[in-house]
Amino acid sequence: MTPTLSRILRYLGAALALLAVLAYVGYLVVYVVYAADLFRWPFDYDQGEGFELYDAILYSRGEWPYRDNAAYPFYASNYPPLFHLLIVPLLGALGPRVVAGRLVSFTATLVTGGAIFAVVRRKVGGWLCPLVSGLAFLASNYVYQIGPLCRMHMTMVMFETLAIAFIAEFERPRHGRRNLILGLLMLLCAGYTKQMAVFTVAAALSYVFLRDVKKAIVAGVALAVVAGAIFGSLNVVTGGQWWTNVIQANVNEFDYRQTFFLFGQWFRLHTVFVLLAAGYLVYELFWGRLSIYSLWFFFSLGAGVLSGKWGAGFGYFTTAVAAACLTSGLVLGRLKNGEWRMENGFSILHSPSSIRSLLAVIVPLLYLVQAPRMLHLPTAGPIFGLLARALGVADTLIKGDCATFQYHDAMGYTQLGHLLTADDYAAGEEILDYVRTAGGPAFSEEAMFSLLAGEPVVTNPTQLLNLYKNGLLDTTEIVERINRQEFGVVVFRAQFYPQPVLDAIGQNYQPVEHLCMNGFYYHVLWPNHRLASPSD
Amino acid sequence: MVTKRQLGIIVIVLGLLFVLGIVAVDLIGAGRWSGFGPLQQVGSGLSLAALAVGCILVRLGDRPA
Repeated sequence: MTPTLSRILRYLGAALALLAVLAYVGYLVVYVVYAADLFRWPFDYDQGEGFELYDAILYSRGEWPYRDNAAYPFYASNYPPLFHLLIVPLLGALGPRVVAGRLVSFTATLVTGGAIFAVVRRKVGGWLCPLVSGLAFLASNYVYQIGPLCRMHMTMVMFETLAIAFIAEFERPRHGRRNLILGLLMLLCAGYTKQMAVFTVAAALSYVFLRDVKKAIVAGVALAVVAGAIFGSLNVVTGGQWWTNVIQANVNEFDYRQTFFLFGQWFRLHTVFVLLAAGYLVYELFWGRLSIYSLWFFFSLGAGVLSGKWGAGFGYFTTAVAAACLTSGLVLGRLKNGEWRMENGFSILHSPSSIRSLLAVIVPLLYLVQAPRMLHLPTAGPIFGLLARALGVADTLIKGDCATFQYHDAMGYTQLGHLLTADDYAAGEEILDYVRTAGGPAFSEEAMFSLLAGEPVVTNPTQLLNLYKNGLLDTTEIVERINRQEFGVVVFRAQFYPQPVLDAIGQNYQPVEHLCMNGFYYHVLWPNHRLASPSD
Repeated sequence: MVTKRQLGIIVIVLGLLFVLGIVAVDLIGAGRWSGFGPLQQVGSGLSLAALAVGCILVRLGDRPA
């Protein structure tokens, strides 16, 4: 290759690298805009956010959220406690507002992106691959949509990523033991944030096992003893409700077609990262030595398999997204640095300069090929409207049940990701007014209406439904109270309740208004006695 | 330190256990498909892949896994 061509390729590579960074920084801007919009929204954006906040409120009062669902207020949590405990310190400053949980989760995604950047930078140096790897995680459609929600999933991913980062360094002569202990602590935190972290636990312990069998056994036993002690203690102090609500209630129906669909979607959205990570896994398995990062990618697919469970979704792939972003960053960084040595001794470092010059172009080009596959942005407003038209997506919007969102997402239909409108706020206030003037506790499918009105939170509907389907719920008292029309108002959305509950409501409550909020129909029902005597 | 051969043996054993589990589903009458259901077909494919990978790893000998 002539010096001129080499120089041209170098300049071209620099220009493409700049474009790639700008593209992923652009996604970060979209993410921050979405998060800021959500922080202002006082109601549930995703069904379940209010219940996560309520768990934190209960902890702040010194109460356990693992309770008997058959007794009033028919509420219990089905998740481990750590995410909720992280919210508690913010309640003093922010009050019982869902923004507290959203801030924790959003911060967790930033920490995760930062951890990915730090690991890639430490391992391969440079700036392009570390920066884009960290930003790519935040650019993922999945991370974007659920990152700023008051849900625990992304906090689990943060602890998982930190665990992998620490345990990767457990063999260092200096601080190796500290890194292992910190990594195990992060695994414990991940597991007590959400149970699905078990796949990362398997990945981390498998890595330690491959490198040092004795340490792996000691580490595994230590982790099991500590985790088991916490588990047993929680079950004892909650009178067995911990086991019922956190384990038994989460055994749901499984639809393999949902798993296949989500695997296909995940691959379509993150193609370049997934192929690079998978290729790295194959390389290390047969030609190199398995790293913790490849093992993490492999085991994280197990979480994806569980996405067919009722109530699960694309969020189950966020660990795999983190693993793919991190691993692909290592792959591309090592290619650029010439740290690739094959069995026959061929090394990129010793290859002709033409290959190294080409790689300087190919690496940022790969990032640019990947970037549009994850496209998601609002399509209204002076800036986003212009951008959406320039990208040709201004008309490919997402339709909710009762509204069309000014939002485009490459993943197709999604209930999340769009910005809220003045109509949404107006509808929310109207529903809240119904709850405030109900003259009795609200039977609300979403907790924020009750919390904002200062009313008790009654029911965690999906928890009730899961327990009922598993034969673990006695609906006698809840049906009796509904039959006595003790609840001043019923607010439905998806109506995820056990059938006896829905039947009882159908016999005792009548719809008075249907409102469109956040793309969903909310149905407000009054008790029959109130409709019979309007002065009540 | 675990070698590629040892890892290969572990993978083969896990693959065989998986196959036994898939067959056992039919023996105990679990699942809602009669005959070989779609999940069993996928599981069988994965088990075969695991056995193939395990055999290759065994042949790679004492190199560190």
